[in-house]
This record gives sequence, C-alpha cells and structure tokens, in this order.
Amino acid sequence: MSENRSLLCDTATTLLRDATDIHALEEAGFATLLVGEADGGFGGDWGDVFAVLRIAGYEGFDLDIAGLILDPVPGDSLEQGAFAKVSLAAGALDRILEMSIDYVNTREQFGRPLAKFQAVQQSLAILAVEAAAVNSAGAGAALAFDHGDAAFEIAAAKMRTNQAIGIGTAIAHQAHGAIGFTQEYPLHPFTRRLNQWRMEFGNDRYWSEKLGAAVVDLGADGLWDEITRRSDRNTG
Amino acid sequence: MQSFAIHPFETPDTAADLRAQVRRIVSECEADWDATDRANSWSVADPAFSARLGDEGLVGMIWPKRYGGHERDPLERNIVLEELLAAGAPVGAHWIADRQTGPLLLRYGTEEQREKYLPGMAAGRAYACIGLSEPGAGSDLAGVKTTARKTDSGWIINGQKVWTTGAHIAHAILALVRTEPESERQAGLSQLLFDMDTPGVMVRPIINLAGQHDFNEVFFEDVEVPHDALVGEEGNGWRQVTAELALERSGPERYLSSYALLRYLIAEQGSDKAIQPLIGKLAAELWTLRQMSMSTAAKLAQGEDPAGEAAIVKDLGNSYEQQVPLAIQAVLDADFDMHDGSDLARTLTLLLQTAPSFSLRGGTREILRGIIARGLGLR
Repeated sequence: MSENRSLLCDTATTLLRDATDIHALEEAGFATLLVGEADGGFGGDWGDVFAVLRIAGYEGFDLDIAGLILDPVPGDSLEQGAFAKVSLAAGALDRILEMSIDYVNTREQFGRPLAKFQAVQQSLAILAVEAAAVNSAGAGAALAFDHGDAAFEIAAAKMRTNQAIGIGTAIAHQAHGAIGFTQEYPLHPFTRRLNQWRMEFGNDRYWSEKLGAAVVDLGADGLWDEITRRSDRNTG
Repeated sequence: MQSFAIHPFETPDTAADLRAQVRRIVSECEADWDATDRANSWSVADPAFSARLGDEGLVGMIWPKRYGGHERDPLERNIVLEELLAAGAPVGAHWIADRQTGPLLLRYGTEEQREKYLPGMAAGRAYACIGLSEPGAGSDLAGVKTTARKTDSGWIINGQKVWTTGAHIAHAILALVRTEPESERQAGLSQLLFDMDTPGVMVRPIINLAGQHDFNEVFFEDVEVPHDALVGEEGNGWRQVTAELALERSGPERYLSSYALLRYLIAEQGSDKAIQPLIGKLAAELWTLRQMSMSTAAKLAQGEDPAGEAAIVKDLGNSYEQQVPLAIQAVLDADFDMHDGSDLARTLTLLLQTAPSFSLRGGTREILRGIIARGLGLR
C-alpha cells in the first residue's frame, strides 16, 4: 500500500468510527477524493475510493459516504453504486469474519472453545474465502475504473459479491448461534445491511443476464481475449 | 482484519508479445487436439508440444541462462501459463518440472544436480514426477514410510509411492523418503532426486474412473543411488516439501483447467437466452479467481510467501471448477443430446466424471481449509 493510501485509511478509520454527521467527512475532504490535486482535490484514484468505502463497511458506518464521494463524479451511476456496495461489502464481510473468529475462540461448549471443532474451522474457512473473493473483486473493479471502462468488471464484481453475501452471512450467523440472532448483539447491523446491498444496484438476475449477453456477443474465443485485454491495461 | 491483501499485478510490457507468441503456437498445433484433451490440459502429456515450447523459450522461463533458462520475469511466465491453459494446450509432460522440480533445484539443489537436470527440463525434454503420497500417507503426509539407508557409497531406497502423476513419462523422480532410521512424523525426512531408469524402480499404472492413465504406483526395491542424490539438507525434507506445495496451489491451473467447457458452452449454446445468465455468472467467478491468482503471483514474485493466499485460491478454484459442469448440466435444454458427439457433450461427459479429483489433487479441500483456518487463528 502506498504511503498516501495508508494515511488516507488511517484518517478514514478514525473519522468513520466517530463521525455522527456527514459534514465532518465533507470538511475532511472526502467529497473531493477523486478530484485532481490541481483542482483543489485529494487527487485519489478508485483504489482509494475502494479502501475508504471498505473501511466504512468494516466500521458499520451508517451515513452515505459513498454518495458524498461519488455523486460529483461523472459516469454511470448504476455502475458506481454497484461499486460502492461491493466495496462496503468487502469491509463488512471482513468484519463479520473477525467477529465470528473472536466468538468461536471465546465461546466454550463440550468443554472447549468452538474453534477447536473441525466442523467450525472448516465453516469459517469458507467465510474467509468468500470475503477474500469480494476484496479481490473490489480491488480489480477499482483498477478498471481507473482505466475508464469498468462495465465488465463491475458486473462480475457485484455478482461475485452477491454470491459471497449469501454464503458468508449464513455462516457468520451459524457460528454465533442464538446470540447472533438477538437485537442486542452487534452482528445483525452488518448482516442485515449486507443482505440489503445484495438487492441494490443490480441483483444476480440483472447482472448475470447483462454480462451473459455481453459475453455471448464476444463469441467463444472472445471472452478470454476480452478478459486479458482489459487487465493488460495495467501495464506497469 | 483483512481476509486477502491485494498485491497489484503490474502487467509486464512484453505481455502483448507473449500472448501473441503463445496464440501463434497454439494456432499452429491445435488441429491435433481433441476437445476432451483441451478440457483436461495440464494432465495431457504431449512431449512434442513440450519440446516445441522449450524451443520457443517458454519452459524454465525464469531460470538462470546458465542452466538453459531465460531469466524472464515471473509475471511474464504467469502470462504464458494462463494463455496455454485457456487454449487447453497439452502441457502435462513438462508441467511438474517447470512448476516445481526446477524451482526446487534452484533453491536447494547442488551445482551438479542443476547442471544435470535443468537444461533438459528447460528444453521441454526432461520430465519429472514427485513421489509424496504412499499407501499409508495421503493427506497425512508425515506418515511416509519409504526408507533410504545410508551406505558408504550412497543410499539404498526401499518402499512405495502412489498417486504419482506422470511417473510413466518422467525421466526423474523427486521422492520424499525417511533417511533417519526410527524417526517419526515430520522429522528425519529428506528429498532424493534420481533417474527413473535406476535399477529397482518399477512403475505400475493406475487407471482412473474415466479410463485415463495419469497417475501410478512407483515401487523401490533396493534402489541404489549416490550420496549426491540428496536435494537440500538431510532431514529437512518436510520443510522443503511444504514450501514446494505453495508453488503448486495458486497458479492459473486452479481455475482454468477445464476452461474449454465454458468455451464450448458459449459456442454451441450461447444463443439460448435461458443459458446466458449462467454464462454471465461463470464469467464473473472466473474473472474474480483470476484477480486472486494474479495477486498471489505478484506476491510470490516479490519474494514473499503466499501460502495462505495459495490455499484460498486453490480451494475457491477447485469449487468453481467442480461446479461448472454440474451447473451446465442443470440448465441445458431437455432435448440436449449428451451422445451427439459435439465438443460440449463430450467435454461435459468427461468433466462430470473427473471433477471430483479437482479437490483431491495438490491437497484436499479439508486440508486446505485447515490451513486457511490456522491462518485465521483457529485450531
């Protein structure tokens, strides 16, 4: 991670943990995250947007920071909205993974921590793998936005995120048992949001029909050509 | 916490040239490739094709020139691998030598071992197999019982390996053996490298459920090899082997080994609107896996150990590749004829049978998830 990105993440973590109104974030400059330095902005890239929104998802931040950052940015608002949900979900999935790990390491049944049971270990490994997929997909989509056209990547990333949310939230709840189903316990603010994001800015049907038709248009050899052509834009 | 730290894959400037080179070779050779072979590509051995890749400088790409290598960037090699796999090229003959045995010799081998084996491997003409599993040591590899007894003139090896991929075409075997008598579990193990035509080495084929011959039993009966068959340090075999397994787990072969099936689905059934959503979903997963594999390759190229990421990529890639044939089977039109000889029908028939092996070879799903869980601080 670049030094600028690290500083940005530190600032975002502090602010998003404590801020109760969006103006504090506006004052801190998040509204101009993607505006060039020459124009008085932060001069960030889409990787920075991913990093900040990921932290918002991780912290369970409830205000519309995605809108604050992205509303002034020209482009397809559905794609941008989907990107925001992917980024938030990447953080939220990592958070429920962390909560699940802490819980099974602490909670004892049959005379030992739940974490000692292979069935529990294997189940949390699946949650970790799903969270990893969303984090990778979000970072990949951010790179594509930096190159201008992210139509393919955002379709893929949002679909993969929707899949991970379905699998991941179920595992987190299963690991927590009944306590995770209470209003008091802080798991549901993350899992309920995640399940809501799954439907917003394109559910599976929307993106799979769209991407499927686009892939078929490319032809049998075209899919691989397209995937490699697009990622080769990242020439160092 | 962060479940997966991203390492950006900065595409080398030579990417376009390398892709063009591989695509040219493929277009010149692919007339001979059967559809079912293309859906199984790194298991299909074609020595002539491996030699061609060797002549083109595409084997041993990142090894030093003095051993026949080409001193290319690891990310350049990654591009060549994914192009070959996406095309379903028969890369099985040289695959293990290029991926594992060569790099292991560069890390632990003696000068003599490197000079003896690496040039042939880089030429795509010398092949290796890896003797790990035994009848009593599968997922629990520390149960290895094959022994190598040290004598004045060398080692005498006795025992048996099983599930040894490519032993029937390999020129050399890198075997994990017990060199310290009475030692237990991970201690006292060493790696020995020797030629398959050494007296006392016997290979017996094992035919898989689809009628294919990929793996074998390998028997050692008083096999005498010199002292310098030892690779690395005596007694350090366990550590050397585990380092090697990370190289095996995160490459593009973990999500592209049956890519041909998706290609044939698009070609033959893509116009069916009912199938397009599945094509979209499979493309999305493929794209995501590629992001993860490339990030892991970038981490490896920076000299870091991506053992955790590699386990994640392999677990997810295996699950994806197992799900593809089942998902396709589920959405095909009821009139689809599985016996019409089409490329799609034939590759689907094959993969429905062979897919279970994907989460067995190179570390079972349960072992991988155990590794992931340990990385999470469980266990």
